[in-house]
Amino acid sequence: MNAEINFDSSWQNEMAERIEKDGPWGNWELYKLAVEIEKHTIIPEFEGLQAPGHLPDLTPLPHQLEVARQVVENMNGKAILADEVGLGKTIEAGLILKEYMIRGLVKKVLILVPASLVSQWEMELNTKFHIPAIAQKKSYVWEQFDVVVSSIDTAKRAPHKDIINQLNYDLIIIDEAHKLKNNKTKNYEFVQNLKKRFCLLLTATPIQNRIEEIFNLVSLLKPGHLGSESAFFDKYKKDARSVHDDEHLRELVNKVMIRNRRSDTGIEWTKRQVETILIHLSNEERALYNAIEDLRGSASGLASSQFSLMTLQREACSSREAVFYTLKNMLQRQENPSIELQNTISQLIKQVEAVTKNSKAEKALELINQIDDKVIIFTEYRATQLYLQWFLKQNGITSVPFRGGFKRGKKDWMRELFQKNVQVLIATEAGGEGINLQFCSHIINFDLPWNPMRLEQRIGRIHRLGQEKDVKIFNFATKDTVEEHVMKLLYEKINLFEKVIGELDDILTKWEFGNMEEHLVDIFGKSSSEGEIRIKMENLTSMIQFAEEMKGESQREATGNP
Amino acid sequence: MKQQEIHNFLERYFMANHCELIENDKGYMTVQLTVELDKELMNRPFYWHYLEKTGGVPNPMKLTFITDKQQAPDNLQGEIIHFGSPRLHQIFDSTKNLAGFIRLYQKDQYHEQTALIPWIGINGKVSYQCDRKREVFHSIGLQLINGRMVENFHERLLKLPLTTKIPDYAYTLSPLIKPKSGVNRIQAFLTSIIEKEDHTWAVEARERWQKDLDLLHHFYENDEEKSESFETEKTALKEQYEPKIQLSIINGGLFYLTENAIT
Repeated sequence: MNAEINFDSSWQNEMAERIEKDGPWGNWELYKLAVEIEKHTIIPEFEGLQAPGHLPDLTPLPHQLEVARQVVENMNGKAILADEVGLGKTIEAGLILKEYMIRGLVKKVLILVPASLVSQWEMELNTKFHIPAIAQKKSYVWEQFDVVVSSIDTAKRAPHKDIINQLNYDLIIIDEAHKLKNNKTKNYEFVQNLKKRFCLLLTATPIQNRIEEIFNLVSLLKPGHLGSESAFFDKYKKDARSVHDDEHLRELVNKVMIRNRRSDTGIEWTKRQVETILIHLSNEERALYNAIEDLRGSASGLASSQFSLMTLQREACSSREAVFYTLKNMLQRQENPSIELQNTISQLIKQVEAVTKNSKAEKALELINQIDDKVIIFTEYRATQLYLQWFLKQNGITSVPFRGGFKRGKKDWMRELFQKNVQVLIATEAGGEGINLQFCSHIINFDLPWNPMRLEQRIGRIHRLGQEKDVKIFNFATKDTVEEHVMKLLYEKINLFEKVIGELDDILTKWEFGNMEEHLVDIFGKSSSEGEIRIKMENLTSMIQFAEEMKGESQREATGNP
Repeated sequence: MKQQEIHNFLERYFMANHCELIENDKGYMTVQLTVELDKELMNRPFYWHYLEKTGGVPNPMKLTFITDKQQAPDNLQGEIIHFGSPRLHQIFDSTKNLAGFIRLYQKDQYHEQTALIPWIGINGKVSYQCDRKREVFHSIGLQLINGRMVENFHERLLKLPLTTKIPDYAYTLSPLIKPKSGVNRIQAFLTSIIEKEDHTWAVEARERWQKDLDLLHHFYENDEEKSESFETEKTALKEQYEPKIQLSIINGGLFYLTENAIT
C-alpha cells in the first residue's frame, strides 16, 4: 500500500455515548441536507479547478485560469508567478489560494506584501474571493486568524518573527518577490525559515540583471531545483552566457516559473501615448546647472565624488529645492568641512537662491490645466515633491503626496483622497511600486529614473488591467542637460516607452549589460567632454539595439512558458 | 449549486430548525432566528451570556438573505448568498454539526406486532490526499442482527417513511452486533475496497516527493551539518506530498426497519 489509511474514530465513540444516553438525536431533514451538501462540496477529481464555480462575481481571464491550473496540477503548488506588470497576478494567486482552500489542502496562510498593498490584498481577497483575510494589526493575529496579510518588514520584527517561526503554514504568498533576490539579507533569511507546504512568489521582474538572483528566488521556492549554490555558480557564473542561452537552465526555471506577456493574453490593451517635452531652463536655472558642471575636475572637495556631482546635476534639472537639500546634507555630514568645501557649497547656494522660477513646474501646471483630469506626477526627489505640492497649491490645484515611507493607513488614505477629492498625486520613486491607480490615465515624469525597470513600474501603476482609457505619459527633459542625453539616446532610440518591461529585461540579462543606472553614472561621471558622452551613449544604444535585433525571433521562446 | 438550489436549501434548513420565514419570495428571504439558531450562527456569546446573567428578554436576530440579486427588490438590505460565500459554508457546517447522529424508525400503519430490525448506517467520505486531493462519497448500512452489508444505504433510506418515535404495534429487536463493532466492520469493508483500487496517484506523489527530496539533499550537500532550514524543508516536503487516505464520517445512526425494507 502506498498510502496510509486513517479512520476518524471520533464519530464512533460519540455514537456509542449517544446510544447509551438515548440521544440527543438529530433531525431527519437536517440529516438529509447534510448528505446533500456533502455531495455538492465533494471534490470529484484531482485535476481541474473548483474555484471558479465558487466565485460567481469574478470572471477570471483565460490566462489567469490557465496559470492557476498549471500551478495546482503541474507545479505542485510551488511557483513563481512572473506575469508582466498589470496582468493580474493577484487574481491568479487568489484563484490558487481559493482552490486549495476549497480542496481542504490549505487552511493557514501567510501573505507578505509591500506595506502599501496590505489593505488592497485584504480587500480583494475578501470581496473578490470571499476569503476571510485579515491585515495584521496586533501580534495575536498571527495565531488567531488563518489568512493573514502583512508587510515583510513587520513580520520579520520582534515579537512577530518568533511567533511566525513557530507556526506551520500551508501556503505562503509573497508579492513583489524580486526584493528577495539577495540571499544575504534578513528578509531572505526570514522567508527561508518559514515553514510552508505551498508557496507562491509574485514578481513582474524576475530576472533583473543577474543569474544569481534567479538562483536565489528559485532556491527559496524549491531548494536544490537549480543545484547547490557552489555547484550552480561553478557552472554558470564564470560562463558569460545567461539564463536564456542555456537550454537546460531555461527548462529548469520554466518548471517553477510562469510568465505571461501582454501579447500572449489576447486582451485588447489600451494604448500608451508617450510625449517627450523638452524644457528650456531659465537663465538662473542654467547658471546653477553650469556651476555644478564646472566643478567637474576642480579641487572643490565635491568633485571627488562622481556620484554626488551627478546627483546634484540631476537635481538641478528637477528643482532648486532638491539641490539645496542635498547641499545642506553634504555640509552637515562632514564633521570638519574643509574651507574649500564650505566655499563651494555656499557659492552654489547663492546660485540656488538666484533661481526664481521652476520652468518644469510651470510646464507641469500648464499641462495639468489642459488635461483637466487626474494626473500623477513622478519625481525622484522628495524636495521636489514638497515644492510641487506648494507650487500647485499656490495655483489652485489640489494634490496629495505619496511616498514609500508612508505608513500603510496613510497610503490608503492618500490613494482614496486622490481617487475622490484631489486632482494630482505627487509620488516619489518609492511610491512607484505597489499601488494601483488605474482610475487615472495621465502620468507626468517630472524627472526620469535611470533604471528602466523603475520606469515601467511607474507606468504599470496605471497601465494595467482595469484601465479603460488610453494612457498618456509626458516625459519632461531639460534641454542641453544630462536629462536630454538620457532621454534622447536611451529612451527614444530604444523605444523604451513602447516596450514592455520583459523585453528590455531580457536584453539586459542576455548581454550581461549589468545595471543600466551604473552604466549611465559611469558615462556621465567619467567622460571629460560632451563629445565623449555622446559617443559612449551612442555605443550603449547601439549595443542594446544590436542585442535586440539578435534576439528577434528567439525571444518568445526564450522566456516562453513550459 | 445553483442559486435556486441554495434558496431551497436555506428554506429547508431554517424550517427544519423551526425558524419562521417572515418573508420568502423570489430571490430573497427574511428569517426570524430562534434563540438556539442565533447562538449557532451569530457568534455573539457575550450577548447571550449577559442576557442569561441579567435575565433579560432574549431578542434573537432577523436575517435577510439575497439569493438572486436580479429578482430581489432593489433596495433590499441583506446578505448576498452564493456558493462559496462564508455564510453559506457556515450554515453547511452547522447542518452537519446539528445532524451528526440520528435514530429513526420505519413508519407504517402496523396492524399487528411487527419487529423492526436494527441497522447502523453511516455516510462518509474517503479523501485521497497528497499535494492534490480527491474525495469519494460512501453510504453503507449494516444490519445488526445478521451482519448484512449494503452500499448506497442513504439512497435506499430516502425511499422509506421514517419517524423519530417508535410507531404503534412496532417493537425493536436488540442488536446482536454492537453498533460500535458494526462501525468497525464497515471500516474494514471500506478499507478492503480502497486497497483494491488503483493507487497510481500515490505512487506518483511519492515519486514527486522523492525527486524534491533528492534536490534538497543536493542543495545542502556541502553543509557539514544539516542546517535548521534543511530540516524545515524536509518536513514541509513530507507534508506537501505524503499520500494519505482519510476516512471520515459525515453522519450516521441507528435505523429500525422492517424485515424487507432493504432489498
